[in-house]
Amino acid sequence: MQKNLKTEFCGLKLNSPIVLLSGCVGFGEEYTRIDGFSNADVGAICLKGTTLEPRLGNMPHRVTETPSGMINAIGLQNPGTDMVINDIMPNLDKSETRFIINISGSSVEEYGEITKRFDDTDIDAIEINISCPNVKEGGVAFGNDPDMSYRVVDICRKNTSKAIITKLSPNQTDIAFSAQRCIDAGTDGLAVINTLMGMSIDTNTKKPIIGNNQGGLSGPAIKPIALLKVHQVYQISKHHNVPIIGQGGITTANDAIEFIVAGAATIGIGTALFYNPLVCHKINDGISQYLTDNKLDSIDELVGTLALNNFISSCK
Amino acid sequence: MNRSTIQVVDCQILAHYQFESAQFILTLASDSIAQKTKPGQFVHITVSDALAMRRPISIMSVDAKNGTFDLLYKVVGEGTRQLSERKVGDVLSIIGPIGNGFKLTDKKLPLLIGGGVGMPPMIAIAQQIKDTDYDPFVILGSEVPFPFTPELSKMGNPCPKVSHTMPLLEGWGVACRLASLQGYEGVFKGFVTDLARTYLDALSVEDLVQVEVYACGPHPMLEAVANLAKEYNLPCQVSLEEYMACAVGGCAGCVVKVQTNQGVAMKRVCVDGPVFDVTTVF
Repeated sequence: MQKNLKTEFCGLKLNSPIVLLSGCVGFGEEYTRIDGFSNADVGAICLKGTTLEPRLGNMPHRVTETPSGMINAIGLQNPGTDMVINDIMPNLDKSETRFIINISGSSVEEYGEITKRFDDTDIDAIEINISCPNVKEGGVAFGNDPDMSYRVVDICRKNTSKAIITKLSPNQTDIAFSAQRCIDAGTDGLAVINTLMGMSIDTNTKKPIIGNNQGGLSGPAIKPIALLKVHQVYQISKHHNVPIIGQGGITTANDAIEFIVAGAATIGIGTALFYNPLVCHKINDGISQYLTDNKLDSIDELVGTLALNNFISSCK
Repeated sequence: MNRSTIQVVDCQILAHYQFESAQFILTLASDSIAQKTKPGQFVHITVSDALAMRRPISIMSVDAKNGTFDLLYKVVGEGTRQLSERKVGDVLSIIGPIGNGFKLTDKKLPLLIGGGVGMPPMIAIAQQIKDTDYDPFVILGSEVPFPFTPELSKMGNPCPKVSHTMPLLEGWGVACRLASLQGYEGVFKGFVTDLARTYLDALSVEDLVQVEVYACGPHPMLEAVANLAKEYNLPCQVSLEEYMACAVGGCAGCVVKVQTNQGVAMKRVCVDGPVFDVTTVF
């Protein structure tokens, strides 16, 4: 791995700024089936979304292609916290990369309980998926309401001393305000953005293609939106030294560099792997070359270097 | 887990033939896939740079010596439409071989039932066992003209009045008959399961216990095959399909509902399948 790719994120030392995203790479071993793929090529892996009890997930279809992207609604299929801690985590090869557990709950208390359980393990960090519905309080997603987001992060913070990364939903009015509330509650990092909700319809049957009717849109289609959200969140997070994993439609090194310039300290790769399982080599090489070409020693020197145009007000 | 078992390879198109009703047979070059593939496995194909997702397609046959493999597909959507436009000499990115494949058991009379684009895995099994002590019988069904020209079979006829076969299988010395509701010449007029019943009813009691059913095809066909296997008390393996994203087990996008000893589970078609014991899925 190129030396200039080494970085630090929420106290974790990373080989590369690439973070593989939760839900795309199972529990860390699945992609190693691919010859030429190595977990050592990425800085960290966010494991599959885990809930307190096992979940079967949604009925098919769970994925469908859309223009420049795809919609998924997996429904948090996972074996539950006990099995993840007892059967899966002991087999992770921690010499290769850092592992981040991604947790989901249907109540504030459930988030607190899962966090407490993982606090007792050797997991490197905890990512909170706040885009789940608050089943106890009307079913609105926690992440769509800044105060509910605050309560979730707050209870997780009280239950762990490990680094907490909060994954922000773009399906809300003011993502920067939500970021502020999560920072107030004590999050160490932010993941920007989760998928955008979308739908695809089969015109023969007049039914949604996705079994769950709606699902999360990912892939290059959402990249410009994700980039703007990172820029908006960075305007808040930079004042608190809270780093961002920039994510949403990144498929090339240039995409990754755009996110870093906008304010991301690390970059998330998910859907791009489905098209090219070996894409991380290309992105690592491209970022490293860019740093060399621009005489930068590390990514830190590039984060948030966006130079906004200043002539907007002159157009009358 | 089995690390490094799946290759990512650029494969050149060596041949690409179109048949009636937008069916295509694609021949690709890859030593590793041709040599490693087991019957029932599939490849995940980048059909074009314009589409964000790959397409999973079953492997029909391999030529390990020359390093090539064949796929049969039908144009059903945008992905297969764009694939159909790719020319000889073009290079496609392929991930494979993927999946558990069929498990050949000690039952010496495999009954292979393939419908539509479910034919390829049956042909793949036939290729593997053609020169062994297995004595397979293949039934292929299609409601559009077959993607080959059916010919009169010279092999022993277990199904009277049904005379035509697939030339490739005839050449391999594998007995085969065809079924369709369309009334094609020499082809059984009816469902594949009706033709299978004719075959099974002609077997002795001793032979019947040597039958294992292997099937791939549309869901209603597989359901009928499941009922047939249950009625005759035959073990049966079926290959399933589902919309797929990663194809390596990472995203849990391609699951099907499966009955296990621990109750209902959602299993991934890509790496837990695509082949399942019929009693667990129907």
